[in-house]
Amino acid sequence: MIEVDSLAAIRSGNRILDAVTLTVAEGTVTTLVGPSGGGKSTLLRCLNGLETFAEGRVTIAGHKLVAGEHPPRALERVRRDVGMVFQGFNLFPHLSAIDNVTLAPRIVRGVPPAEARSRGLDLLERVGLSRFAEARPATLSGGQQQRVAIARSLAMEPRVMLFDEPTSALDPQMSAEVLDVIVELARGGQTMVVVTHDHDFARRAATQVVELVAGKVHRTGPAAEILAGAGH
Amino acid sequence: MTAARLGERRHWRGWLAAVAWLLAAVPGTGLAAELDEVLARGELVWAADQEGGGPHVYVDPENPTRLTGFEVELAAMLAAELGVKARFQQGQWDRLPLLLGRAADCVINGFESTPERARDWHCSRPYFAYALQLVARRDSALDSLDALAKEGPRGPWRVGVLTGSAAEIEMRRRSDLAVEVVGYDGTVDCLEQVRGRVLDAVLMDDCIVSFNADRFGELRGVGRPFAGGTYTILTAPDTPRLSKAIDDALGRLITDGRLKALYDRWDLAGRQQMLLLRDATEVPPARRGSLADLIRGALPLLLRSAGMTILLSVASFPLAIIIGLAVAVGRLHGPAWLRPLLAGYVEILRGTPLMLQLYALFFLLPKAGLALPAIVAAILGLAMNYSAYESEIYRAGLKAVPVGQFEAALALGMTKWQSLRHVLVPQAVRIVMPPVTSDFIALFKDTSVCSAITVIELTKRYSVLALSTGRIAELAIVTALLYLAMSWPLSLLSRWFERRLERRSERAPG
Repeated sequence: MIEVDSLAAIRSGNRILDAVTLTVAEGTVTTLVGPSGGGKSTLLRCLNGLETFAEGRVTIAGHKLVAGEHPPRALERVRRDVGMVFQGFNLFPHLSAIDNVTLAPRIVRGVPPAEARSRGLDLLERVGLSRFAEARPATLSGGQQQRVAIARSLAMEPRVMLFDEPTSALDPQMSAEVLDVIVELARGGQTMVVVTHDHDFARRAATQVVELVAGKVHRTGPAAEILAGAGH
Repeated sequence: MTAARLGERRHWRGWLAAVAWLLAAVPGTGLAAELDEVLARGELVWAADQEGGGPHVYVDPENPTRLTGFEVELAAMLAAELGVKARFQQGQWDRLPLLLGRAADCVINGFESTPERARDWHCSRPYFAYALQLVARRDSALDSLDALAKEGPRGPWRVGVLTGSAAEIEMRRRSDLAVEVVGYDGTVDCLEQVRGRVLDAVLMDDCIVSFNADRFGELRGVGRPFAGGTYTILTAPDTPRLSKAIDDALGRLITDGRLKALYDRWDLAGRQQMLLLRDATEVPPARRGSLADLIRGALPLLLRSAGMTILLSVASFPLAIIIGLAVAVGRLHGPAWLRPLLAGYVEILRGTPLMLQLYALFFLLPKAGLALPAIVAAILGLAMNYSAYESEIYRAGLKAVPVGQFEAALALGMTKWQSLRHVLVPQAVRIVMPPVTSDFIALFKDTSVCSAITVIELTKRYSVLALSTGRIAELAIVTALLYLAMSWPLSLLSRWFERRLERRSERAPG
């Protein structure tokens, strides 16, 4: 489902990512762990073209991204099949929860409004927020906002979901709400890559753990092996 | 001092300023300079509008620092008779009398003797006789004065006049004619607009027509000059000795033949002038109407002009917003070659006066073959000028939307334009609502500049009415109340938007 081959990203002369190679099989969960500044988020953002890379290539959900070539049309096609959930939620504050969820299916995929709404309500139900369909993001808690953001991504029926530290901005109780949703998704066979500091989550859900240190893949393996001995 | 006391003091200061402004607006209550003061000063300050044009007062084309015209020479001769020097004071023609008693001792600028002027100012004995001449293009279907009675091929004849002149009074008085009267501030502008086919004809004093005959070869006089009268020198009503000294001086210039010689020098038929001046009858002053009559007569006109002010605002501002938003988006997200062009557009429109832009649209475009109706030029000019300001506001608004919003939109597969249309612009619009609303109020008041291109909105209507009725202060209050009645609801709307935004940001976490 995802092949990353010899990826390098350079920012202000520094190699943020260097010769990163990894494979993610369909229906599996990969977590990216490692110290801050190790390149986890940059790698994730290279996978859907939010950031460019200087060397190597990425194949994701059947699309190819090649270093130095990032035509907008190609990136739009990739992003339609690859959802992303951000650390800061990034919900659209001027739209209600349900409108956040239905906007992209309507304008990108051309789904008729009534159908988009009915599917959007199902998704909000799935993340436990159908009561808040008409609420504005500013009136929701952080955990609720992140769950709406997950529903918003799922509405595009992505083949791959990318999570960029989805619980870092949340307190433990709200983190748990969000993690339950993500674990549930993983059990349903959704292919995903999750950047996280939360080793418990990695142990619960990850098929493989990739540890990035100073922009390089330090270790790759099952959670039990990589995280053995590590604390929270 | 406490904040409350400070507020109170500001409040009083505001009232004092308003009262002082009103006093200054009432003719004759200023401290007009009497004869002895003029003599002590050694200068007779005379007011005129060099934009009014020749042969009265105009800039010498061969030496643009020098003023010339028969009235320039007349002023010098009168001053010499008083034993002082003449000093010129520039003013807008229809408002020159307002300078009396403050910036000028007298007005010498082709002011026709009318009953209204005789009522509000002191009018000297006549110094020049004129008649009105209709002028049209040589190829025009308008071939006689009688032709004005029936509509032309394009509807009512559009006839230009100098605002506040006898020609305007004559045209507006003639309800039997199928004409649309358009007021201008300069005679040459009028003639240019006839040449450019914006106007069908212009009505002006015969001496102006013959003076400009060579420069406007494609125009010709239609019919004989008619509705004649005389020019008078205006002085403040409370300077009787100065007024008498000027009258006496004029008398001497007439008797000893110096005035005739002046007119002969300027090719203005000196002998004919002297005969006409000899036979001229005195114009009796008009009666001052009651305040109720004044309001009854003026209010419908003021209300109609307030309607024009509203039309100009509500037609131009939405355009300004659309253009401004497009420019802002283009500068932030458009192709690289477009960005400097848009930056140039903004700088040019912000860096030049609105008045100049309106002039260019209305007076210069016809030379390039595109004659816009005045109201279209006014709406377009206001919209373009304000679009520059709106684009800067929207640019700031777009930049204030967090970058994560753009990324979230892109990550959902939206194109750049979809992201802008559905995510960034709606948020920017909410952010900039308060400054945009306050700009609307500013534009609303800026519509008064459009009078420079013949659009009669509220301020212009006030100015015309105030000068023709002499009720400057009363009409100023009515006009100010009308403006307030229109802009106050806008202020309330603006504050409502701000409160709404504040409440929303208070609700937002973090």
